[in-house]
Order: sequence, then C-alpha cells, then structure tokens
Amino acid sequence: MTDEFIIKIENIFKTYKIGDIEVRALRGVDLQIIKGEFIAIMGPSGSGKSTLMNILGCLDIPDSGKYFLENIEVGKLNDNHLANIRNMKVGFVFQTFNLLSRLNTFQNVELPTIYTKTKLKNRKLVINQYIESVGLKGKEKNKPNELSGGERQRVAIARALINDPAIILADEPTGNLDSRTGEEIMAIFQKLNKQGKTIILVTHELDIARHTQRIIYLRDGLIIKQERIENPVMADEILSKMPKLEDRISVLK
Amino acid sequence: MRSFGKNIIIAFQSLFLNKLRSALTMLGIIIGVGAVVAVMSIGTGAQASVIDSIQGIGSNLIIIMPGGSDDDMGALNQFTSANKESLKLQDIDAIKKHSRYVDGIIPVILSAAPVTYKDKGSNVSIYASSEEAVGVYNFEIDTGKFFSKSDIANSSNVAVLGKTIKNKLFSNEDPLGKSIKIFGKNFKVIGTVKSKGANTFGQDQDNTIAIPVTTAMNKLYGQNYLNLIIAKTAEEKNLNLASEEITRILRKQHNIKSGQKNDFSIENQTEILNALSAVTNIFTIAISGIAAISLLVGGIGIMNIMLVSVTERTREIGIRKAIGAKNRDILTQFLTESVVLSLTGGLMGIIFALVISLLLNKYSPILTSVSFSSIALAISFSTFVRLFFGIYPAMRAARLNPIEALRFE
Ligand SMILES: Nc1ncnc2c1ncn2[C@@H]1O[C@H](COP(=O)(O)OP(=O)(O)OP(=O)(O)O)[C@@H](O)[C@H]1O
Ligand SMILES: [Mg+2]
Repeated sequence: MTDEFIIKIENIFKTYKIGDIEVRALRGVDLQIIKGEFIAIMGPSGSGKSTLMNILGCLDIPDSGKYFLENIEVGKLNDNHLANIRNMKVGFVFQTFNLLSRLNTFQNVELPTIYTKTKLKNRKLVINQYIESVGLKGKEKNKPNELSGGERQRVAIARALINDPAIILADEPTGNLDSRTGEEIMAIFQKLNKQGKTIILVTHELDIARHTQRIIYLRDGLIIKQERIENPVMADEILSKMPKLEDRISVLK
Repeated sequence: MRSFGKNIIIAFQSLFLNKLRSALTMLGIIIGVGAVVAVMSIGTGAQASVIDSIQGIGSNLIIIMPGGSDDDMGALNQFTSANKESLKLQDIDAIKKHSRYVDGIIPVILSAAPVTYKDKGSNVSIYASSEEAVGVYNFEIDTGKFFSKSDIANSSNVAVLGKTIKNKLFSNEDPLGKSIKIFGKNFKVIGTVKSKGANTFGQDQDNTIAIPVTTAMNKLYGQNYLNLIIAKTAEEKNLNLASEEITRILRKQHNIKSGQKNDFSIENQTEILNALSAVTNIFTIAISGIAAISLLVGGIGIMNIMLVSVTERTREIGIRKAIGAKNRDILTQFLTESVVLSLTGGLMGIIFALVISLLLNKYSPILTSVSFSSIALAISFSTFVRLFFGIYPAMRAARLNPIEALRFE
C-alpha cells in the first residue's frame, strides 16, 4: 500500500497534436507527494508544468501512466467522479484567475458549493468567513473588474478553499502580481499549509519557490531534479520587513 | 442531483446578467408566439362569425336539395346532378301532412334578376318562398307586411324589399304601394325587411327581394320545381329524426323503390356547420402553417444566438467545469435558461397577441377570437422549438473538456 502518499503518479505521458506536429508535453513523469507537503514546480516555459498541474487537478487526462489520488486510481473514474474530485478534493488556483466576470466576489466564491451534493451548513456565513480569511472583507459585492489583480487572486483562492479540499493546486498564482502582493498570497498559502493542506504551486520565481518545502524541476516533460528546502522563507517575516508602498512614499517626502 | 429550484436560480441569474442577449432571444419567441396566436385568432374569429351567421338563421333547420347524395359532396350535388328538378310544391304538402317533427316548411327558389323602378335599375337576388318564410328564415318586417297565403294561392305580383335594394331604388321615397319591374313584369311593393347585414362571405344579404314562390314559378320562370326546401323542427334534438322522417315521406312521394337511390338530399344545420367548419379549419390550418414556419425561422435564429452564446460562454463553461460542474449541470443550466426564456417570452407573446387581436376587433372589420388551443399550440410549439434548438448547443457546451474551454479566449 502507498498510504502515506496523497498523490502518486507513475510514468505519465501526455502528447498534444496540432495537425501533423506532435508536442510531447510530458514524457514519463513519476512523482509522490506526502499529505501536508508544500511543493513548488519550476522549469522553463513549455516544459510541461501546466500540463502536469492540469492532470493532477483532474482537468485533463494523461495519455498513459497511472495517477493515484488518495489511493484511488483516477484513470478508472468516469466524468462525474472527476467532476466530484474537482469539486471536493482539489482546489485549483489559476494564473489568470478564471473568475466569472459577471458574478461578484460572494457569488464567485459560492460557485463550487452550487455543484456540491451535500448542502453546506450556514452557507452564507462560511462563504463570508472564507472571504474574510483571504482579506477581502467589504469587497463581497465587487465584480472582478472592480478588484485589483491581487484581490482577484484572493477571490480565486477563497473559491478554491470553499469546499475544504485536501489539496490546493496553484498554477503561477503570483505571476501577475507585484512582489508585495505575491508575498501576501504566499502568506495565505503558508497559513493553509500549516492547517494541513497539501499545496502544489507552479512558479518561475525562485524567491517564491523558496517558500515551499520541496522544489521539483521540470524540463522537456521530464523531472530533472528535486530539491528540499530545509528552511523555507516565511512570508510573514518578509512582509513585516517589507515596507508598504505608501510608507516608502511617505519616507521620500 | 441538485434540486430543480437551484437550476432555475442559476438560469435566472445567468439570464439576468446577460440582459441584452436574453432580450434578443426573447424577442424571437415573443414575435413567433405572438404571430401564431394573433393569426389563429383571426382564423377562429372567422370561423366563429361563420357559425354565428348560420346559427342566426336558426339552429334547427333542415335543408332538402334536389339530386341524390351518393357521394360526400351532397351539398354540391345540386349543381352537378342531372336530377335537379325533383323537388315540387306537392312535396311540401306531403311533408306538412305526414310529419310529426317538422314545425314549419318553406319552398325556396333562388335567382338573380334585373329590377327597375322608374329610371333606376339594379341586379338583385330574388328569394322566392312562401308566407312561412318569415318564421323559418327569420325575416323581420320593417314596414308594410310580408306576402300572405292568398298571395301564394293567387301567384300575386307582390314584392318585399331588402334594405339595400330599397335604398337603391327609392332613396328617401316610401316604397310601399309602388310598382317595380322584375324581368319586365310589374310587382307591387308591399313591405320592407330589416337589415341582415353582410354575411360571412361579404355578400350583402339586404340586396334581396322576396316574392311569392308561385309567382316565380308561374310568371317569371315557368318552372314547376323548387331549388330548395327548408324545414324547421320545434326542437334542435329532433333534427335527425325529422331528417329521417322527411326522407321516408319524400321517397314515398317520389315513388322510389327500396334499393333505389334518393333523388334528393337532406342536410341539417349541424352537418352544414360541420362542413363549413371544415372549410374554415383548412383556412386556420393554412395560416397557422405560415405562423409555424415563422416560429421555425425564429427558432433557428434562437439556435444561432444559443450557439453564439455558448461560444461566448465557453470560458464560463470551462470555469464551471473546473470547479466541479458535471456535464449534466451545464446541460441543465442551458436547458433551464432555454425553458425560462421560452416561457416568459411565450407569455409576453400571448399578451402581445391579445393586444393585437383586441385592436383588430376594435379598429378593423376583421373579427378575431383568441382560443385556448391556439395559445396551447403556440406555447408548446415554441417550447419544443426552444428545447430542440437549445439541446444541441447545450450538449455541445456540456461535452467540452474543461481545459479546452478554459484555453478559449
Ligand atoms: N492544448 C494544447 N495543444 C497543443 N499543445 C499544447 C497544448 N497545451 C500545451 N501544449 C504544449 O505543451 C507543452 C507544455 O505546455 P505547458 O503549458 O505544460 O508548459 P508550461 O511549463 O506550463 O509553460 P509556461 O511556463 O509557459 O506556462 C508546450 O510546448 C505547449 O506548447
Ligand atoms: Mg503554464
């Protein structure tokens, strides 16, 4: 048995075809992740990071190879089961937020609960709690276009958290954000990790990756290196040292 | 499974958040349903007024025509059958004598003739009958009197004028006692009848002159046969019994042996109504067909909007699927949107049609009547069209792979 691994993939292949051209995005990837781990995936553009994340998030299906999620072989599940996993077991945070532009913050965060079998108790209260926990209290009625990039990403994180999934997958969650806002997002992830969530995030920035416990390097669809971070950077500490922009402006005066 | 109520909420939310798109889609349905109901209201209105005008004559009439009815075209047979001289005045006496159910019976000869008074002239319908026509055919005397039994016995040259011909020949002059010429023969005007208005086919029922049937037979046409015999029963429920009775009496009167065919045909009011309804039904079906085609075209338009909206909403579908919506959820969302649109649109279409039909009734000569069946037809058809054209785009949307949908820009 492979009890200790919340995620285990074996020899995953994924090839995209555009006309006659084949792009081999993943070429035999093996990976084991322990429950409660915080992992960063790095690698050059086009190396297959997003492809791997999509497969882990059950948004896409590998051509071959096995994927065990909490010891269940995902490849054997039908569409409805996969939808349930996306709904309940993994929360996905996208680089481009992927919020519904016509819905406000509250409605966007609420969205996954609409597709859940069992009714959430105290739904309104729980949703508002999650909105508060990502620091968006007072912005419940704002539409995405009335929010900053960082705020949108927080909405997306709250949405990913609403059904209390064991796993958070985040594909370049800080890619569109300035360094301070990125740091704040990392603080949220570290807090969640401390609460026991397994988190996997894709990033291009080593500074961001150093917040995690393990970095996995991908290149040309293969894992080429793994690195343990003995002393992860604590976002809270950095934030406390990092002066706020308005502080710096006031210093200049 | 999520509850039906939740689906409705999502659908309403989505419709409300896309007001313009919803409004455009709905417009198609409103116009489609409105057109169907309005057009059908004209059809049923025409039908109702046909039935009205026939029942205005009296709903318990039996019409006996010369010529057998060996096929379904009974009523038309008198024009084609060789034996159009089979009905005689004696037949009326025989029926009067032997029938238990017949309450009144009149001979009818219909023709058109030139009429003149002094220097004025016109063509009119000559309605030759007996004194009983007043009761059977619902003539209402305006001035003077109708011709009498003795006028019939004497083949008197007397005439009773309808409103139109009266006005044409006499304008403001009092016609009573004046002498007019029909086919060059002098007739004395003894009465006028009240206006009956135009019938459903637009014919003026007042451009008519009634004269004694015997005068027409002996002095105008020299014929010994009748065009029609109209009989009346006291009660409508006896119509069929009376028809059978008349058949028996006439067969005996005409010496028709058993096994031989009738040389006359009998129709009663109910049958005539049915025949006429059949005609107006065809009319209604034809215009409904046109309306249905417009609904169909509207439906294709709706499908277009649905397809475009699916394309537009591919990212939305991707996002919904990425956070756990099942294919079924997407499908139900789109279908519910479809149904909500078609029901609200349908409802507004009906209101639209009601307004149109009211306006037509009020400000145009067209009579309309909105029937429940036309509403039911329009609603079920538009729902069907919507579902049919909604299902395809919805299935397409539901089948999308979340990643493909998300990549859509
Ligand atoms: N839907 C697709 N169709 C065709 N090719 C694809 C598709 N998705 C990804 N690819 C190709 O697969 C390879 C891996 O793509 P992937 O998105 O996983 O890279 P990535 O590591 O996330 O890159 P980046 O850092 O730029 O986001 C790339 O060469 C890309 O062009
Ligand atoms: Mg990527």
